Amino acid sequence: MILYEPIMIPSGMKDSLGRPSGSLLYIALAVLISAFTAAVLLLPYDTVYIQEETYLLWFLVVMSVCFAVFLLGMTANALLWMRGKGLAGTPEARLLLLVSRAVRTVFSRRLPGLLRTFLKEAMYTSKLRTLSRSRWLAHLLILGGFAAMLVLDVVVTICLDVFHWSPMIDSDGWAKLLMRDLAFDIAGLMMLVGLCMAIVRRLVLRPRQLATELADVASLSFLLIIVVGGFVLEGMGIDGAIPGHESENAYSFVGLAFSYVTPDSAGQYYDEAWLLHGVLSALFVAYIPFSKLFHMIAAPITITLEGLATREAGRR
Amino acid sequence: MKRLDISKLDVAALLGTDACVRCGECTLTCPTGGEAQDVELITPRGKLLRMRDFVKRQYGLRARLFGPKGIEDDELEEFSRRVYECTICGQCKVVCPAGLDTIGFWENMREFLVANDLGPLPPHQQIVKSIENYDNPWMQPRTQRPGWSKRLGKEVVIGDSLKERHEVLYFVGCTAAYDPNIRAMAEYTARVLARAGVDFGTLGNDEGCCGSTMMRTGLSDSTKGMVLRNIERFEKAAPALIVTSCAGCYKTIRQDYPKYGKLPAPVRHITEFVGDLIESGKLVPEARVDRTVTFHDPCHLGRHNGLYDQPRSILEAIPGLRIVEMERNRDDARCCGAGGGVKTAFPELANDISELRVADAESVGCEVLCTSCPFCYQSLKSAIASSGSEMEMVDLMELLWQSLQAPR
Repeated sequence: MILYEPIMIPSGMKDSLGRPSGSLLYIALAVLISAFTAAVLLLPYDTVYIQEETYLLWFLVVMSVCFAVFLLGMTANALLWMRGKGLAGTPEARLLLLVSRAVRTVFSRRLPGLLRTFLKEAMYTSKLRTLSRSRWLAHLLILGGFAAMLVLDVVVTICLDVFHWSPMIDSDGWAKLLMRDLAFDIAGLMMLVGLCMAIVRRLVLRPRQLATELADVASLSFLLIIVVGGFVLEGMGIDGAIPGHESENAYSFVGLAFSYVTPDSAGQYYDEAWLLHGVLSALFVAYIPFSKLFHMIAAPITITLEGLATREAGRR
Repeated sequence: MKRLDISKLDVAALLGTDACVRCGECTLTCPTGGEAQDVELITPRGKLLRMRDFVKRQYGLRARLFGPKGIEDDELEEFSRRVYECTICGQCKVVCPAGLDTIGFWENMREFLVANDLGPLPPHQQIVKSIENYDNPWMQPRTQRPGWSKRLGKEVVIGDSLKERHEVLYFVGCTAAYDPNIRAMAEYTARVLARAGVDFGTLGNDEGCCGSTMMRTGLSDSTKGMVLRNIERFEKAAPALIVTSCAGCYKTIRQDYPKYGKLPAPVRHITEFVGDLIESGKLVPEARVDRTVTFHDPCHLGRHNGLYDQPRSILEAIPGLRIVEMERNRDDARCCGAGGGVKTAFPELANDISELRVADAESVGCEVLCTSCPFCYQSLKSAIASSGSEMEMVDLMELLWQSLQAPR
């Protein structure tokens, strides 16, 4: 098991006086949650499309709580792993040590190999590609779309609310058109296509090895509602010609298509729809550690560790 | 209510239960669950998710907040039985898109069962007793161990590595040493080594069980003494190389022994060693063997150790031999059904799986089914008989020996 090799945990790690206290973990968590909440609440949000500030506040509160639930859920799951054999100390102390070793590994000479393995095996899912091209494509579209949206969210938020960067703010700014409109739509479309492929496979084609349970339907439905909801919201924004969607809507090509099927009067409910979409997205984040979707955290770890172990064994 | 002790589970195993995406890829190729019985709980996915369910029920967030939930004895017993029905062939590892090291996982799961008094199964206990009392799983006295070499007479001189130093230590393994139907494997190995002029010896009476059976049934903790005794004998013999003809011994000595102590010499499987002897010209197969053969990849050699080309290179060196591949070969090769203690506890299941493999070989129209593992040899030979096949079961060294018979 590579987890027991020096990559992650020093061999023969003993329960020594020098080990970190388990309570440090909870302190670190509290700091992280507080920092996130403070950042979320303190950002100016000058450029958020909605007009109703109460809705914005509601969303920010829900998002902070959901982020805290996500972190606590992740920690609870990781602490359960730490009950396994071979490690000394309390699960909390083990987790802290493991995290510190992982960070050191990331910043070691193993980084290029680690990165290559992570990108090829965990993100590109090369093994899945050999098993089934269609499954691989569906997974890649969902994962790629999700990852792209996550990165875009962070980049756009920083550009807007920290740097107040005008090309990202102005209605016809190039960065706004390419990133906030086009890139978001492409990422959302990737997810939508991938989800449709997954749903058809699971519910229509039903290959022999699939065992569909509530957890599978719940995860797919949740994602689908958020993705479709995002496009409906964009369509409503275009219908209502809200700030940012007064013109140049061809860049939001999927939202534009949705605007043709949503009634023109839908634009007046944009704020409510925005809140609903935002709350659902926040709840989705909170749901991850307690659902099948947790594999998006756990599987990249196992894939990368196994890939790295195979790679390094081959070199020896 | 039974509170399970999960402290014997690897961190990686616990992490693996969360990484499983339930895609079911493993259920398609699992020889036990997917094909022989079609029971979800025997499939890798079924076992893994049941394990996760048990762990969450007793140690998950809800259990921490509201107290652990009980697990019925019946449920645990069924789970244990199903876990022991796995041959640990590793096919699931090959196809798992989540990169789970399922081979390590199933072995570890058995350690967990043993720690919770849920394993090993009664038939395994008999073998464990035999190993503890006789140092072999066949309830044979230690003095009978070198009996396999009697038929060799003066043709091959087997050195005693504990009395005089030999370059190569041939670790025979219990099955080839004691089972009268398998002894030929050891004999032909010795003949081939002697023909190549290799300076080799064995541990004779003092060779101990490698501990594979104990480890595969979850008794790793009880194996420590046995392993250390063998390492001590290796040190005393001080060879330059340890060679095994048993795939199980090879995996155990190569992968498991270093966890207990340092090996004084590298270990190689006979197919690796002989492959090199052929390549270097020390062995020249000259006699034609005009037969059609297919090679069965033993799990312990192939998926567990990545040795796929070495046995094939030996076959390719034999003149006249027509080699055909089964549809499922190399890392996709179907298991023979004997591994992981399945043949001991569930002989009928093992035979069902073996018959599937024999059918694989039949379908490519070969006359000879060849392998390089005593357990595969044993179970496939028996399945050839039970399925009424006319194929001949042959060990790779025996086939090679046929080609080494030409006058030099």
